[in-house]
Amino acid sequence: MSPPDTAASGVGASLPRLDAREKVTGRAQYIADMVRPNMLHAAIHASPAAHALITGYDTAEASAVPGVACVLTGDDFPDGRMGAFIKDEPAIAKGKVRYPGEPVAVVAAEDEETARRAAALIRVDYEDLPVAATPDDAMAPDAPVIHEDLPDYFKVFPAICGGNVASETELSEGDVDAAWAECDVIVEGEFETPAQAHLSIEPVGALAEVDADGRVTLWSANQSVFRVQANVCEALQLPMSKLRCLTPKVGAGFGNKMEPHVQPLVVQLALKTGRPVRLILNRTEDFETVRARHPFKIRCKTGAKRDGTLVARELSAILDCGAYGDDSPGVLGYSLLMSRGPYRIPHCRTSGKLVYTNRMRFGAFRGFGNPQVTFATESQIDEIAGRLGMDPLDLRVKNMMRPGDRWFGGGEVASNGLAECIEKASAASGWRQGRARAAPSGKRRALGVAACAHISGLLATGAIVRLLEDGSVVLNTGAVDIGQGSDTVLTQMCASALRVPADRVAIASPDTDGSPYNWGTTASRVTYTTGRSVVAAAGHVAEEIKRHAAEIFECAVGDLELRDGGRVGIKGVPDKELSYFEVSARAHWAAGGPIVGADTWVYNQPSVDPKRAIARGLPFPQIGVYSFGCMIAAVEIDETTGKADAVEVWSAMDVGRAINPGSVEGQIEGGFVQGMGFALTEEMVFDGPRLVNPSMMDYKAPTSLDAPFDIHSIIVEAAEPDGPFGAKGIGEIGLVPAPAAIGNAVAAATGARLRRLPLTPERVLNGLLESDSED
Amino acid sequence: MEFIRPDSIDAAVAALQAENAACLAGGATLVAMMNADLVAPERLVSLRDVAALRTAMRQPDGSVVIGAMRRHRETAEETDLRDGQRVLSDAAGQIANPPVRNMGTIGGSCAFADPAADYPPALAAADARIALVGAEGRRTLPADAFFVDWYETALEPGELIESVILPPAPAGTAGSYTKLARVAGDFAIASVALVLGMEGDACSHLAVAVGACGPAPVRRRDVETELLGGGLGDSEIRRLTDALADGLDPVDDVRASADYRRRVAPRLVRQAIAEAKQCLSGTQ
Amino acid sequence: MTGASITLKVNGADRPVAAVAPWTTLLTVLRDELGLTGAKRGCNQGVCGACTVTIDGEPVRSCLSLALNCTDCEIATVEGLAPAGSLAPVQQALAEGNALQCGFCTPGILIAAHALLRRNEPLSVDEVRAGLSGNLCRCSGYKKIVEAVVRASEARP
Repeated sequence: MSPPDTAASGVGASLPRLDAREKVTGRAQYIADMVRPNMLHAAIHASPAAHALITGYDTAEASAVPGVACVLTGDDFPDGRMGAFIKDEPAIAKGKVRYPGEPVAVVAAEDEETARRAAALIRVDYEDLPVAATPDDAMAPDAPVIHEDLPDYFKVFPAICGGNVASETELSEGDVDAAWAECDVIVEGEFETPAQAHLSIEPVGALAEVDADGRVTLWSANQSVFRVQANVCEALQLPMSKLRCLTPKVGAGFGNKMEPHVQPLVVQLALKTGRPVRLILNRTEDFETVRARHPFKIRCKTGAKRDGTLVARELSAILDCGAYGDDSPGVLGYSLLMSRGPYRIPHCRTSGKLVYTNRMRFGAFRGFGNPQVTFATESQIDEIAGRLGMDPLDLRVKNMMRPGDRWFGGGEVASNGLAECIEKASAASGWRQGRARAAPSGKRRALGVAACAHISGLLATGAIVRLLEDGSVVLNTGAVDIGQGSDTVLTQMCASALRVPADRVAIASPDTDGSPYNWGTTASRVTYTTGRSVVAAAGHVAEEIKRHAAEIFECAVGDLELRDGGRVGIKGVPDKELSYFEVSARAHWAAGGPIVGADTWVYNQPSVDPKRAIARGLPFPQIGVYSFGCMIAAVEIDETTGKADAVEVWSAMDVGRAINPGSVEGQIEGGFVQGMGFALTEEMVFDGPRLVNPSMMDYKAPTSLDAPFDIHSIIVEAAEPDGPFGAKGIGEIGLVPAPAAIGNAVAAATGARLRRLPLTPERVLNGLLESDSED
Repeated sequence: MEFIRPDSIDAAVAALQAENAACLAGGATLVAMMNADLVAPERLVSLRDVAALRTAMRQPDGSVVIGAMRRHRETAEETDLRDGQRVLSDAAGQIANPPVRNMGTIGGSCAFADPAADYPPALAAADARIALVGAEGRRTLPADAFFVDWYETALEPGELIESVILPPAPAGTAGSYTKLARVAGDFAIASVALVLGMEGDACSHLAVAVGACGPAPVRRRDVETELLGGGLGDSEIRRLTDALADGLDPVDDVRASADYRRRVAPRLVRQAIAEAKQCLSGTQ
Repeated sequence: MTGASITLKVNGADRPVAAVAPWTTLLTVLRDELGLTGAKRGCNQGVCGACTVTIDGEPVRSCLSLALNCTDCEIATVEGLAPAGSLAPVQQALAEGNALQCGFCTPGILIAAHALLRRNEPLSVDEVRAGLSGNLCRCSGYKKIVEAVVRASEARP
């Protein structure tokens, strides 16, 4: 048998997902597929009230239902509070409820039907409080206070807060007030984006099992076993050593499964009953109680000189936080950091407020605030181009950040592929000719462009690489593959670093008992941060392999090299080589001990240079490395109805290095369609505090007929010097420019600048008719 | 809850004579509502085994009788529907998506009477009649009389839909269904069912029903009749759309606002007529 | 709980199931009673398509099909697409084409695609887009799925 080809499965190969076979045969296990012996099924009782004191519970009727094992209310939960930035959230409502749909009680029973029936029989007495449904309500002078104890909550950053304002952030550079005088053209406007549902096809769920000593094992749909562990332990006041978190396959996470959902509830039920307990939310509950993308209201003002030189920007944002802090302070801070866009704008002042309301919590969602601000800022770049009679693409090229330029706030940017992204998207789309391309009868057609940047990075990560006795490898990182393919990509990196075929590397499933810490699969970070640890840990293994070989060959370590197929040999002497089997067997049985390489690190480059910028209340002092992108979208608008369809898109994204080009394309394509949904059809509609459309019937994401087939992924590789093989992240950036590019195309086709998403047929038609009547 | 699977219409009618009994047709709507705890019938009468409800037949006079249990996919592919009757197959092919079209039935859809569904306007424009059968016997109602109000039909308790009867459409007429929805397969924001015949430049047949813009499909037979024999130019079409607009009673919902529906429905009517005229002139 | 004892024919085998309540869906029986967890519950409302199986050869929603209505039908799930240890061409095409990410929608997509491929002729991109329009995927943007199914349709003899 010929040795498997190392190069064909390593870095740069479009290796199919490692779990592809498992998934196409229907054997892959997700949380709802898991069963444990003697398992109970749980259901929640959700609050009908938006803001109310809980004055009493009557659980007698529910407890009496045959098959019910346990009913718990807020009184049965410890007083701990969890929260990524502000510890403001109990495991279950205690004392008061803050949004409709908030769990107030939970039932475990022999089957799910019984649990649900019993949960409906729980009676809760409420004393209604005034409701603040929107940030405007919540900032009114007489607004009800949603978190009376906000000043006393523990916060992980120097939060500026008070009243219903959970966090206030400012970031500025230069002298904006003086700069307006230099501007020949100033555009100003208010932009609004709605709540978007993540809509993972898998609803969230969790399964907890307790052992005889009271130690709990918890499986759940999640994006970080370590965040699950931290959140549950904070909320339930458990030592982290008492909770082991694991993960089955995850039916996609777009931020919704990063922070807690029902995990604390099942852990408490398992502790109280001593039996395994599983809770799977139904779709409506998933809509109402998990989290969603923040609604933003953005005021933005941008000024330029007559020649197109951008001079100044001022942006202020109001974010609806919902009832709990969750990841929201991070989203606010990050959105401001992104609000200059990838341009040289010397004077820039941004500020934002995150306001508690009596709506469901809002949190992380692919893009993390960036799509919202990019919609506003990239719309204004086009508006300026229009006012100056410049080509929007030329204006972007004129002002784009060049290699060596720093990010807003002063952070260093080590790699910048923006120019190449713009050039390649332009060339591929035929931008210069595209506008002349005829629309079908009854339609208007135009191209729209948007440029953007995004980070990959943040916080701590690690990897352990072990050489098994036979010379094959186990990689353990603790990073949850949420379907985006990180297990495959990290395996490819490990395989390339050790020059073995990918099928000689097994990847361990994340386990808080055995995996090194990994903050999570979020912030486009796994390829970059975890990849770095994988390469470093594999490097330690390589050094050990060489050390053994040097002893065997009695040569210097420096004379040795790793060879494809998992061999170590003396440079220039093809015959002098050993297999990893020979090395690892020696290490296991004779000398040195089994070979293990480990690496951990925490992202530590400052995002703000205090000499250049002023930052107040910024939650992420060390954010990450920068990726860049340019998207051009062709949009057709039906003149009868105003319905806008994205018919073709060119998305050029700088990923540093494509570890798995097929996977990179998958992220670009999927990101675009999710961003297109945000731009055109998706909107969580609220009636006061209440979500009106918590179902897939009423909330509409694109189908295969709505998404264009012609999504052209253009991979740009501006290598990140310290990235693994030069790689940066790609998880989010493909979504970020989509609403702006589509909005700019709609404006170009209709003459109407729409500043509110989604761009529904109604808004587009009204814009089109008004604009036509002005002509 | 009881589950009954009768194998004849008589047995089905007999089984329905109970408190809180419901017919189970394709399940596409009823089971979804049961899953969501919105309905809980005490007796489910599955019509799956009633062979007589599953056929579609063209009668010697050109009318077509479509059994209540005909699936949307079958109706979409129904070759017995000809000329203007194609309005119904065109609508059937635009319902939801392939798997749901394999399940959902015309009887089930009519009985649920979602005003944003695709069949009601198509049936109205086709001058269809709905054949009902109950303990008291059989009766047929024109579509206009069957669709009474929001989610309300003329079905009496204990009655079921036996078939939908499409009268013959004049030879040479064209039937079309134009639907605006947020995404493919969604219920309509607004829709237009049209049956049109032209003899040269003169309108020989005209039926227009607007869907999803009120409790039931909106037709203006009076104006349609006035326009027969004329040229169906811009001003004639405007007379029709103005009249239709008077009859619309849309609401704001998550799909669109009432204002928009009022604005877009006449535009859809104009587009549908223009396309049908073009299509007819192309075939003549 | 009382209910009927029935036999379902699933992937060619007779599968007895006891105590099936009138409101119990085929999806519930497949997943909870027969251990066939390939079909997924995404919305329980017939919209997402993750529960798609075939009944008498046609793709339908198992979450909207009552189990008691499915006796004397041929039911096929993703587990029955190919004998253990092998892959049907459409499974192979999706796996090799990077046409799945989280995989939760994949079983339903495969069932819908498999039904399209029965026509035994090359499929166009638009035919596949229409044929899969009842199966939501939130990860892929659909392009690679459509490509894989088109490729599978072209590869057949």
